[in-house]
Amino acid sequence: MNIIACVKQVPDTEAQIKVKADGSGIEEGQIKWVMNPYDEFGVEEALKLKEKNGGDVTIVCVGPARAMETIRTALAMGADKGVHICDPAFDNADAFVVANALAAAIKALPHDIIFCGQRAIDDDSGQVGAMLAEALNLPQLTLVTKLEFAGSSVKVIRPIEGAQLSIETALPAVVTCQKGLNEPRYASLPGIMKAKKKPVDVKNAAAIGVATDAKARVAKTVPPPARPPGKIICGDEPAQKAAELGKLLREEAKAI
Amino acid sequence: MGNLLVNTRDQQFLLFEQFGIEKVFDSEAYGGFSKDDVLMILSEAEKMAVNDVFPTLKEGDEEGCHFKDGKVTVPKCFREPFKKYSEAGWINPMDSPDVGGQGLPHTAGYAVSELFCAANYAFMMYPGLTHGAANLINVYGNEQQKKKYMEKCFSGEWTGTMCLTEPGAGSDVGALKTTAKRLPDGKFLITGTKCFISAGDHDLTPNIIHPVLARIEGDPAGTKGISIFIVPKIRVNDDGSLGEPNDVKCGGIEHKMGIKASATATLNFGEDGKCIGELLGEERAGIKIMFQMMNEARLGVGMQGVALGSAAFQHAVAYAKERIQGTPVWEMKNPAAKAVTIINHPDVRKKLMWMKAHVEGIRALAYFGAYCMDMSKISKTEVEKGNWEGYLELLTPIIKSYSTDKGLLICSLAMDVYGGYGYCSEYPVEQLMRDEKIACIYEGTNGIQALDFVGRKLGQRKGANVMNMAGLVQQTVAKYKNNPELGKAAATLEEAANACFEVAMFFAAAGKGGDFIAPIYNAGKYLDMFGDMVLGYLLLDAAGIAQAKLNAMYEEKGLTTIGKQKGLQRENQDAAYYAGKIASAKFFMNEAVSTVKARAEAVKANDKSAMELVDLAFTV
Ligand SMILES: Cc1cc2nc3c(=O)[nH]c(=O)nc-3n(C[C@H](O)[C@H](O)[C@H](O)COP(=O)(O)OP(=O)(O)OC[C@H]3O[C@@H](n4cnc5c(N)ncnc54)[C@H](O)[C@@H]3O)c2cc1C
Ligand SMILES: Cc1cc2nc3c(=O)[nH]c(=O)nc-3n(C[C@H](O)[C@H](O)[C@H](O)COP(=O)(O)OP(=O)(O)OC[C@H]3O[C@@H](n4cnc5c(N)ncnc54)[C@H](O)[C@@H]3O)c2cc1C
Repeated sequence: MNIIACVKQVPDTEAQIKVKADGSGIEEGQIKWVMNPYDEFGVEEALKLKEKNGGDVTIVCVGPARAMETIRTALAMGADKGVHICDPAFDNADAFVVANALAAAIKALPHDIIFCGQRAIDDDSGQVGAMLAEALNLPQLTLVTKLEFAGSSVKVIRPIEGAQLSIETALPAVVTCQKGLNEPRYASLPGIMKAKKKPVDVKNAAAIGVATDAKARVAKTVPPPARPPGKIICGDEPAQKAAELGKLLREEAKAI
Repeated sequence: MGNLLVNTRDQQFLLFEQFGIEKVFDSEAYGGFSKDDVLMILSEAEKMAVNDVFPTLKEGDEEGCHFKDGKVTVPKCFREPFKKYSEAGWINPMDSPDVGGQGLPHTAGYAVSELFCAANYAFMMYPGLTHGAANLINVYGNEQQKKKYMEKCFSGEWTGTMCLTEPGAGSDVGALKTTAKRLPDGKFLITGTKCFISAGDHDLTPNIIHPVLARIEGDPAGTKGISIFIVPKIRVNDDGSLGEPNDVKCGGIEHKMGIKASATATLNFGEDGKCIGELLGEERAGIKIMFQMMNEARLGVGMQGVALGSAAFQHAVAYAKERIQGTPVWEMKNPAAKAVTIINHPDVRKKLMWMKAHVEGIRALAYFGAYCMDMSKISKTEVEKGNWEGYLELLTPIIKSYSTDKGLLICSLAMDVYGGYGYCSEYPVEQLMRDEKIACIYEGTNGIQALDFVGRKLGQRKGANVMNMAGLVQQTVAKYKNNPELGKAAATLEEAANACFEVAMFFAAAGKGGDFIAPIYNAGKYLDMFGDMVLGYLLLDAAGIAQAKLNAMYEEKGLTTIGKQKGLQRENQDAAYYAGKIASAKFFMNEAVSTVKARAEAVKANDKSAMELVDLAFTV
């Protein structure tokens, strides 16, 4: 079975993000980079499928040179090889360009199932998985929290408001992973050492033959507005304070 | 700020900026590593330490270990992390790939170990002792013993212990009473009671392998007559499967101040006359062999001091940045002044600085010990190798006892920073302090370590190790003596180093003159002074490196005024880190190293009040 897991390198959730003075993006110098947490679910699911059914897991990543570290992490977790699509031309890529680049790389690989995170925690756009499925002309199963493999098809659970859908589709297909799907493993020490010998194919835009013109352009990056200070309700009588709180919630916060 | 356990930036500084372990990567012994590998290894270790091990700290302490119907249970929350930890290969990263390790340089391995130890030391005692026991068999065992016992320990299928202490043989191991009687097949019948055996019994794994010190019948008294035996809890068949129980019975576990999740067991060997042990190595070489494990354990216990001190410090800084209490002293006259976070109060700030300098210092010391192992392993000549081993020999008692004494003080200061809340179990510092105290006692009390230092280590190799240490210190002093920012610190260090070496001469002279008590009486005090001096050296060396990097940053950005430079420190983590490193050295030198000379004078005054007093006079 040929399994693909797409990964993106993103700032650590605990990293302090600073916007560049000119609003052209964020300061990258001091950021700790990690694998997008939703992609970790994808890598874990890919490894579980491989462990159960045999086959091989290929990591595909669009990103700058530093993203190699994230590919290596996936290899250390147990994936077999990597494709790193790396080109300065992708620096301002939007979801459309990234999805097309992934699609171009994946077309050149045998693929039975493709995992993506349901979204990346940096730009939160949540579009790449769906666009990738379109570009490959494959069925897409989004926000998956459970997956059962049945030879030539998969059955998945996708939560919706107040219920969940059970969906089945023939393979190949694109699956985007949601929290709850699994518990991603850590790379083991032997895994880290083995990963050093695993092949990673580095390709530029020309090599995979895709256009790099983005449809969307980030006009400006600005930090979120500072939060207004909280209001402390003073007084001695709990009942009176509760009444005041109720009033504020209704009239000012309009929460009730 | 990163995690609440260990400052990983400081770890990386030590590995890649101060000691520069890339140079061992190029060697034949460590050829397979790169900086990126080590960073990934540390990052994976940090994840597991923070997410899987640290959450067991409080739960493990509260649940503790239980002894019922002859069986010991450990906290349930240990099971999963122990399995994960072993499966990920963390029991023996530094061992050779032949025995399932990865041949990781020790300096990097110690950084990994610090992360896990800071997360939960009681938990770490299970894999830690397992490694020590397995490694004994690795070095001294025969092929069959390795196959039978070592492999399953290294993989975490079973665990190990170290069985020295008996009710009548604590500090004095030579007084042990456990006996070994020859059997016709070359094996031995073991009879005796060991007490205080960490991980001595538990329900984490189906078998436990005990290296046991005992005396073969007819062998001489004292340490020279001691041999060491492999004694499994359950006998192991030749095909590796488990056989009959081996007549090793747990008589109970201790109820302790700290490390409550580590089972401290009394073990009765051979109550029914059926406990079989296999000789490990040669007869009567037991102490020499066990010393390998003891040295490893002493460095491990030193790491307990570093790691728990580090966790207490990281927590205290985070708390001090949040807790709002009291108005700033410069607003004394302003009745409308607003309360501030306590990190703004000079007293709290100074406590944090004390903790920071000491944590960084004992961390540097522990890693330096590991670095010596790496350097001796890659040494090209016997002389070079001997020198690196010499530093480690000299520093082992300091790493063990200085780091744990200071670790305890760091925990205590962290509690002070937390105020009343620190004393309560809702916050972790009180547990860290309880867990830390035992480090001063086991693995040879700190008092015994000081005797080892003064009695054995100072004079080892005809004093060459001390002279080499003096050489390192002198080089660093010379390097920074005329440095405008660090010159004063260098001068303080020089004075302290001279004072330390003078005391060594004083001890030698006293011994020659028949005054054997002087060095022994002052051993603990001297170890502490020497430790301060060595930390001063390591911190000054670090400060010099940090200073060069910081100045390069200022220059690159054209920051010439103090205001602008401070501005960079506020927004750039590296700049802040380097500035902090320089401050640690200056602070430590002024706070601790500057008093070494006065302490030396006190030693040389040769007051012996405590010795001269009759016992009754201590308290009538
Ligand atoms: C929680 C815990 C876990 C332990 N784990 C293990 C283990 O896994 N394996 C193991 O074998 N042991 C273990 N021990 C035992 C530990 O190593 C001993 O407690 C320690 O060596 C001290 O021995 P003791 O308690 O008998 O104290 P004692 O030897 O009675 O010492 C009491 C005091 O006298 C001092 N003293 C004794 N002799 C001298 C001397 N000659 N000169 C100067 N001062 C002296 C000591 O420094 C100490 O201050 C553990 C102990 C504890 C509490
Ligand atoms: C077991 C126990 C029993 C107690 N019993 C009583 C009792 O019977 N009655 C009672 O009234 N209280 C009692 N207390 C409360 C105790 O007196 C307080 O905990 C103590 O005064 C410290 O206050 P805090 O815990 O709020 O710490 P904080 O005031 O938050 O102090 C935290 C840290 O900040 C430092 N700090 C705070 N302000 C300043 C400043 N302006 N300048 C410099 N440093 C500062 C402190 O020294 C400390 O290091 C008890 C507490 C405990 C834990």
